[in-house]
Amino acid sequence: MSDSLYLAWRYIGFNRWKTLTLMACITLITVLPLTLQVLLTETERQMLARAASTPLVVGAGGSALDLMMSTLYFGRDVPELINMSDSEEIWETGLADAIPLYVRFRARDYPIVGTTLDYFDFRGLGFAAGRPLAVLGECVLGAEAARRLELEPGDSLVSSPDNLFDLAGVYPLKMSVAGVLKRTYSADDLAVFVDLKTAWIIEGLGHGHGDVARDGDTSVVLERSEDNVVANASLVQYTEITKANIDSFHFHGEPENYPISAVIALPHDAKSSAILRGRFLESLVTAQIVVPFEVIGALMQNIFRIKNVLDAVIVVVGLATVLAIALVFALSLRLRQREIQTIFKLGCQRATIAHLLAAEIILILFASGVLCVGILLIVDHYSADLVRLVFVN
Amino acid sequence: MKQSIKLVVLIALSTGLQSVRGADDDLLEVYVVNYTLQYFASRITGGHARVEFPAPRDSDPVFWKPSIATINDYQKADLILLNGAGYAKWLSGATLPRAKLVNTSSAFSDRYIKIGGEATHSHGPSGSHSHTGTAFTTWLDFQQAILQARAIAEELVSKRAGLKDTFEHQLDLLERELLAIDSELMEIGEKTPGIPLVASHPVYQYLARRYGLNLRSVQWEPREAPTDEQWAELVGILDAHPARWMIWESEPTKETQERLAMLGIESLVFNPGANVPESGDWLDLMRENVDNLKQIL
Repeated sequence: MSDSLYLAWRYIGFNRWKTLTLMACITLITVLPLTLQVLLTETERQMLARAASTPLVVGAGGSALDLMMSTLYFGRDVPELINMSDSEEIWETGLADAIPLYVRFRARDYPIVGTTLDYFDFRGLGFAAGRPLAVLGECVLGAEAARRLELEPGDSLVSSPDNLFDLAGVYPLKMSVAGVLKRTYSADDLAVFVDLKTAWIIEGLGHGHGDVARDGDTSVVLERSEDNVVANASLVQYTEITKANIDSFHFHGEPENYPISAVIALPHDAKSSAILRGRFLESLVTAQIVVPFEVIGALMQNIFRIKNVLDAVIVVVGLATVLAIALVFALSLRLRQREIQTIFKLGCQRATIAHLLAAEIILILFASGVLCVGILLIVDHYSADLVRLVFVN
Repeated sequence: MKQSIKLVVLIALSTGLQSVRGADDDLLEVYVVNYTLQYFASRITGGHARVEFPAPRDSDPVFWKPSIATINDYQKADLILLNGAGYAKWLSGATLPRAKLVNTSSAFSDRYIKIGGEATHSHGPSGSHSHTGTAFTTWLDFQQAILQARAIAEELVSKRAGLKDTFEHQLDLLERELLAIDSELMEIGEKTPGIPLVASHPVYQYLARRYGLNLRSVQWEPREAPTDEQWAELVGILDAHPARWMIWESEPTKETQERLAMLGIESLVFNPGANVPESGDWLDLMRENVDNLKQIL
């Protein structure tokens, strides 16, 4: 057999281009479905990981998927809003910690995520530069958002108007960049994080302006009584929160009635989680409590049905390739008729000729197998980064 | 032999230092918004926590504004004890982790005293401020102070369950001392029913409510001479409220005392204990306050 292998090796070496073409065909047809499988598994794992690391989400009744897309991935669609009191109620149950999120506004196409500092601890977000949020009007940028916007701590970012045609609506707020987060290859990389109160100021629920009661400017006063001063629309509101005007910022109404888009609930244990879910089911009026892993898991199942189609296509293409390879070998045999005749005339048996051809096929398949394993190892090693790059971009 | 002994001593020292550092690292770090809470937390933890109150000694913690670096220190603490009732105005503009915040007065938030519209006033370099909103010196009702101390203890136990017995024992001792002061003040209130008093600052609402003091407030500062308008306002108050004593947060100037004396009003100090006293501790201060208040008997 070693003689046959030697002769086959010499033959392969002499016909290297034909051999390389055959090896490429076999490698590609084997590597393609396996690589796809590796990448899809990693994609599913990563998408589910964010959902799996988020125990419970409370939001308004309606589409659970919209709620998840907004809460986990800061999607563009804003779900029905709930009140800050819903977050406080979760705290008061003593069953879970609550992290409110208000994902509604954007700054140069990047989602502004209003939340509390607890979110940073929960997601394990570290700082690449700068510091955490400290006062009203500051923002912290995700790594990719900072890179694309070319911003660093000390720079400013202006929130985008909610509606260009609403002239009396939300004032754009100039926010100071306090810090930039380390890259996490998640939706957090593309977000602009602000304190909830800053998000409410962007919405217009809180604002700052000169003291109309004490300032001498009568042109801004519409009506003045003993205990109240009504300002007219010419009263200029501050569009940037600075050290000098921060004290003038105030909110109208009760904070517990202010809007948020969702609450991430972090139950203290499995029992607390079950009790909390039970309470929401019992008193379900407007809010819903969902397990992100279940919602995103169901979504993944639907998305990955396309994998079955891809698998079928690959099987058909694979069969065609196998047939083509068989044809190549058959044609090769026909082309090598004179060579085979010469070997036969030299006194070799038909079995020896079969050994020679089998050795060639074995060598080509072996080389393709090694190449295939090598490629798969590389893909597997970089699969997490590859998938993250695809998602974040 | 000497070398060996040196080596053994060095190893022992470094091990000792490491264990001390380890124990120190394990200490709870608690940040508070006034001296009263610092005292309560320090008493309850009995050395098992670092209780930090970073406001300067000469500032009013209600209107004090911490620097960004100090806010960052608050953020890093294990626990942030708030007084509630709108105390520490800087909190409304700061970002702090909700999971670490404890409103020590939430148990009686339904009994907060709402304050009507009053003029703004200023003292020191911090600019003008107003006392409208909610009365915030909640601990001057010593029953409420006990509830605040209990809230602190409960939160500390949740952070260090292993020290539950220590914390509860310390709380018990503190409660007894607070109850003793509460009894003395109740006695003063019972002995002086309806006697009109004037407060130099609107910070004694809870004291007056709990102990039945007939109190009206002006907005004077101990270290500043009252303006003519302020004197006129006082005279107006005295027409319907003939007070013979004015309660101050700290010793007023001699000139103010003399002019008050001309109106037949004597001054006494009842320091709310919002900031660190020059001498003694919070309990000493409160005992001194009670002794001072006994002058009205």
